[in-house]
Amino acid sequence: MKIVLDRPRCEGHGLCEEAAPQLMHLDDEGELVLDREDVDGADAALAKAAARVCPVAALRVA
Amino acid sequence: MAATSLAGMTNPPTSDIDLFADEVVLDPYPVYAELREDGPVVHLRRNDVYALTRYDVIRGALADWESYSSTSIAFNPMANDALTGTSLASDPPVHTRLRATLTENLSPRALRGLQGRIEAKADALVAELVDKGSFEAIDALARAFPLEVVADLIGFRGHVRENMLRWGQAAMQVLGPMNQRTAENFPIAGELYGWCSEVTADDLEEGSVGRGIFDAEAQGAIPPNTAGHIIHQYLGAGVDTTVAAIGNVVALFGSHPDQLDLVRSDPSLVPGAFNEVLRFWAPVHAWGRRAVRDVEIDGAVVPAGAQIAILFGAGNRDPRHYENADTFLVERGPADHLSFGYGPHGCAGQGLARLEAHAVIEALSRRVKRLVVGPEVRVPSNITRSIEELPVLEVIPA
Repeated sequence: MKIVLDRPRCEGHGLCEEAAPQLMHLDDEGELVLDREDVDGADAALAKAAARVCPVAALRVA
Repeated sequence: MAATSLAGMTNPPTSDIDLFADEVVLDPYPVYAELREDGPVVHLRRNDVYALTRYDVIRGALADWESYSSTSIAFNPMANDALTGTSLASDPPVHTRLRATLTENLSPRALRGLQGRIEAKADALVAELVDKGSFEAIDALARAFPLEVVADLIGFRGHVRENMLRWGQAAMQVLGPMNQRTAENFPIAGELYGWCSEVTADDLEEGSVGRGIFDAEAQGAIPPNTAGHIIHQYLGAGVDTTVAAIGNVVALFGSHPDQLDLVRSDPSLVPGAFNEVLRFWAPVHAWGRRAVRDVEIDGAVVPAGAQIAILFGAGNRDPRHYENADTFLVERGPADHLSFGYGPHGCAGQGLARLEAHAVIEALSRRVKRLVVGPEVRVPSNITRSIEELPVLEVIPA
C-alpha cells in the first residue's frame, strides 16, 4: 500500500507524526516529509492511523 | 417513526426537540443521547433542520464537501449572507484559495516561533493565580489568557482589546436561528464587522501577524480588501471557542482530581488530555451545512437543499465509536475527536488553540496538586457552549 499526501492541503499540524513517527516527520521548516511511502503489514496499520488523525484529511493510504 | 418512500428509502426519523431551547443549550448531552438513538440523522421539525448525531456520519459529512455545502453554516439567512465570500462559508475550489490565505499566518508552521512566549505567559498567569489561592477561573484565566495571546498576535490595541470578548461572543451567537439571542447580538456583531471593514495597517502593532496580513495585501499576495475579512475571522471564530475550551480544562480537572494526578505524573499526557477535554465537552454545539443533493444516510434520504445541523458533541459521545463515552479519561487521548471539525474546513486555528491549551495544562499540572471548584454557572448561548463563571475556592499547590 502507498501513503498519499495532498501537499497543498497539509498545514503541518503534526498529528500524523505523533501517530507514526517511523514513517513521517515534520522537517525544520514544519513541512511534512514522508520517510517511507510504500507500506505493508504493521506499517500499513500505522500509516492508516496517521491518516485517520490528520485533522484536514491531507493523508490517505491507498 | 420512519416512513417508507421511493425505492425502499425512508424518511429520517423526526423529533420535536428544539435544538436551541435554553435547557438544551445549557445541557445538551441528554438530548444528544436521545437523538443518537433515534437515528444517525433526525429531522427536527421545530427547527426545520436535519441533525447529524453519530460519529461516523458526522465525520463522513465533514469530509464530503461535494454533498454538504458550507454556504449555510449559520441557522439564519442573514448571517449566511454576511459570511458570503469568507473561507468559512465557501466550498472548493474557491475555498481552497481563501483557506490558504487564512492559514498562512495561523498554521502550526507559522506559529512555531510563538510557542515559547505562549508557554511563558501561561506559566506566569497560572503562578499568579496559584499564589492568590482562590479565583474566578473564567475571567482570570479562560478569558484573560486567549484574549491576551490573540490580541498580541494580531496586534490589537486600545478599544479593540476591550471589545474582543463581546465581539467574539456575538459573532458566534448570530449563527443561531433567528431567536432573541441572535437578534440581540446582531448589532454587536455589526460593530465587529464595521471595525474590520475600516481597519488599516496603522491600527495594528508593528511586527504583528495582523500587520503582516496588510503587508501581504499591499504586495498583492492576497486580493484587495481581504485583510479586514481575515482579521474578522480570527476574532469571530477564534476567541469564544478557545475561551470555552480553557474554561472546560479548569472545570474538568477540578471535578476529576484523579485525572489531573495522571497528567501530573506523566506530562506526555498533556496533548491527549486536551483532546479528551474537547471530546468530553465540545465548545461548539451545532454547526450548519446545506445538502447539495438528495443525500442517503443509512437508508434514509435527506432532501436536496435541506439545512443540516452537525452535532459535534453528540458524535463525540457516540458509544459506537468510544468506549465509556460518557466518562472523562485523559489516557484515552482521542486525537480523532470531532470538536475541531474535520477535513477541508477543519478548524483553521486549531494549531494556536493547541499551543494555548497545552501551555495552560502544562502550567496547571506543574504548579497545582488539586483545584477545589464550586458549582459552574452557565448561561444559554446559541452556538458556543461555555462556562460563564467558575469559582476556584482553593488551590492546593504542587
